[in-house]
Amino acid sequence: MSMLSTETPNLVQLLDSAALELLWHPSLSNLSPRDRMRLFEGLAAGEQPLDILMIEGSILHGPDGSGSFDTYMGRPKKDWVSDLAERAAYVVAVGTCAAYGGFGHQAPTHARGLQWDRLEPGGLLGADFRSGAGLPVINLAGCPCHHDVITGTLLALTSDLPLPLDEYNRPSHWYGVMVHQGCTRNEYHEYRVEESDFGQKGCLFFHMGCHGPLVGGPCNKLLWNQRSSKTRVGVPCFGCTHPGFPPPHPFFSTRNIEGIPLELPMGVDRAHYLAYKGMAAAAAPARLKDRITEI
Amino acid sequence: MSKTKRYEIPLNRVEGDLEVRVDVDEGVVTDAWSSGTMFRGFENLLLGRKALDSLVVTPRICGICSTTHLLAAAKALDMVSGVQPPPRAVRLRNIALMAETLQSDLRHSVLFFLPDLAGSAYRRNPLFDEAVRRFEPTRGETWIEAIVETKKILEIVAIIAGQWPHSSFMVPGGVAYSPHATELLQCRYILRRVRDWYESRILGCSIQRWQDVRSAADLDAWLAERAAHRDSTIGFLLDFGHRIGLDETGRGHDSFLSYGSLELPEGTDVAGPDGSNLLVPPGYSDGATTYAFDQALISEDVSHSLAADYDTGLHPVEGVTAPVTGAPGLRYSWVKAPRYDGKPAETGPLAEALVAGDPLLRDLFARDGAATLVRQLARLTRPARMMSAMETWIAEIGESSAGDTYVPYGALEEGSGYGLIQAARGALGHWVTVRGGAITHYQVITPSAWNGSPRDGDGVRGPWEEALVGTVIADADDPVEAGHVIRSFDPCLVCAVHAIDRRPKGTQTR
Repeated sequence: MSMLSTETPNLVQLLDSAALELLWHPSLSNLSPRDRMRLFEGLAAGEQPLDILMIEGSILHGPDGSGSFDTYMGRPKKDWVSDLAERAAYVVAVGTCAAYGGFGHQAPTHARGLQWDRLEPGGLLGADFRSGAGLPVINLAGCPCHHDVITGTLLALTSDLPLPLDEYNRPSHWYGVMVHQGCTRNEYHEYRVEESDFGQKGCLFFHMGCHGPLVGGPCNKLLWNQRSSKTRVGVPCFGCTHPGFPPPHPFFSTRNIEGIPLELPMGVDRAHYLAYKGMAAAAAPARLKDRITEI
Repeated sequence: MSKTKRYEIPLNRVEGDLEVRVDVDEGVVTDAWSSGTMFRGFENLLLGRKALDSLVVTPRICGICSTTHLLAAAKALDMVSGVQPPPRAVRLRNIALMAETLQSDLRHSVLFFLPDLAGSAYRRNPLFDEAVRRFEPTRGETWIEAIVETKKILEIVAIIAGQWPHSSFMVPGGVAYSPHATELLQCRYILRRVRDWYESRILGCSIQRWQDVRSAADLDAWLAERAAHRDSTIGFLLDFGHRIGLDETGRGHDSFLSYGSLELPEGTDVAGPDGSNLLVPPGYSDGATTYAFDQALISEDVSHSLAADYDTGLHPVEGVTAPVTGAPGLRYSWVKAPRYDGKPAETGPLAEALVAGDPLLRDLFARDGAATLVRQLARLTRPARMMSAMETWIAEIGESSAGDTYVPYGALEEGSGYGLIQAARGALGHWVTVRGGAITHYQVITPSAWNGSPRDGDGVRGPWEEALVGTVIADADDPVEAGHVIRSFDPCLVCAVHAIDRRPKGTQTR
């Protein structure tokens, strides 16, 4: 559903311009059951080439490793996906559930990612899996994944552009940016003007559980639906691009030590951060303290 | 000897995971079983979490109506804390919900329902080439336009909520953000653009003209009036639908439920029916008469579900979500069986309109019953019943940037609450109990649980199981007729019609 919001190119242009042939999509295709079975048999036999396999949703292993909590035509989906992955030149996990497991990793559902089990490599296909083109599963994290990341990845793959991956096998072009970058509340963040309730203009990092400075993701660079982002409208970033999403902690509060967040912006040490934030708060101008600066 | 066959034929283009098995005898469906094929247990993920966490977890139940789940969750927490969101927040919540509903109705109709008419089963139909020209996936003219316009309407949600899907901008006490007047101007422009497209491409006339269509006879006169009406998507659906008998399939229990939705904010010019404080009234209807709705009459039966047993149907305040593994014989779905006053109930745009007493849909119901075509027409015309109120609410808050959009909700430590609203697909309910600030109980009943429910303890079929019985299937290998019936309910589950041969070996025919 997220992907339908892609703009440049839009879905129709994408399917035309990139010379992509959409073999099957569970929501969009209108193949008759007969033609669909023929397609699946052709894929399984290797007669129908499969260039890109995109999987959405976690792979349920429950109950007890059987996968029978999630079946397609009577067969566990995990087995369908394993078979198709063997035939694909590229395998793309769309969304945090498909990439790392996401919601429902605990018993009884035991959701896993395609090649990761939250922060541990492995998952359904195993850490050593490589697709036909020699790549691991490309993880397009996010809940949901940003629409332009999905189309951007498809365009890169069909254009033979290099797509460097980060430590969690996410394309670093989009996940090497912090969610915080581009947030319109950055002024407030910089001078430690922080909110403890909804509906205000200040930063959400110190008290409201915002993960913007903690995780990578393009939400404030590409924007959503060509318009905005959660942090811009006062909703904390919940860190949904991180392999550990969802965290066990409350979403709307920041764990802290003596008023300073327990988790600090990526790569920052505590002593310097304390000094920096103390000075920043002291330097905060009235236009921020009085919430005059627009967001 | 019985010639019953049981079929296994998958359907595409629904949200989620569903398989439907049908028994077919002499080409007629004689029985049906609807099975949810995926157990997710989302409610259980919330147990022990902080009350506000439902605002993050429950939107992720669904990719096409996540804003709707958010509103149900936020209203349940409003009730726990006893807070009343200010009028500007009520409008913003309503506008976002309506934008998502418009998106869903238009995507379902143009991307999910109508492409069936461009499928190979109809290649000999005289309207087939035109159906392909309009609705073939990725190429059809209307299909492509629907991609562009439904994406546009969601920009309204993004302006208010930051993103679509999966924002958590509704919070107990209101919303997290107050859009600037200039942003609301953008919302007006976006809605006007989508309305223009809807009028020209879907209706073939203005919404004002459409509102004068108040009976089956009016509808015939409207079709006769102008070529633009007949060429519209509505006109084409009616023409094609009558040719293939969609006005004769899909009738169910004639039991219709609406929780009611879209609270009227204080001081609005929008009027509810009969002085109701909701734009969409609640009620239970047999299609002709509407009865008052009482949420205490809702229960869930698990006698045929793959869920831990209870002795009798429980109200969701007491219901549990406990999957049974090992699948005992009669249990065939991960979905529970919701019942209203002990009865199965259909919900969705048609139920909503019948409960509200919509004159056109009541008249079509009186003539054709709750047929596949009537059900789909109710969905495709709902934007015409919704856009004016949405425009008014945007205008009412667009005159200035002032006004509260949030009042502090105080404590969320102890209490129970529920949020009952109308999702695009019908009645959606969240029930929550909070103890010591943490969620101790959470139950969700989705519209597709109502419509796609399995049998109950009395063996009574769920709504679309019942609606399938009597459907004539021309080609058992491509039972597109059964697909139309199921799809007219807009199932939020990836759907498959299962067929297993029941005849003795040696008598099978293909």
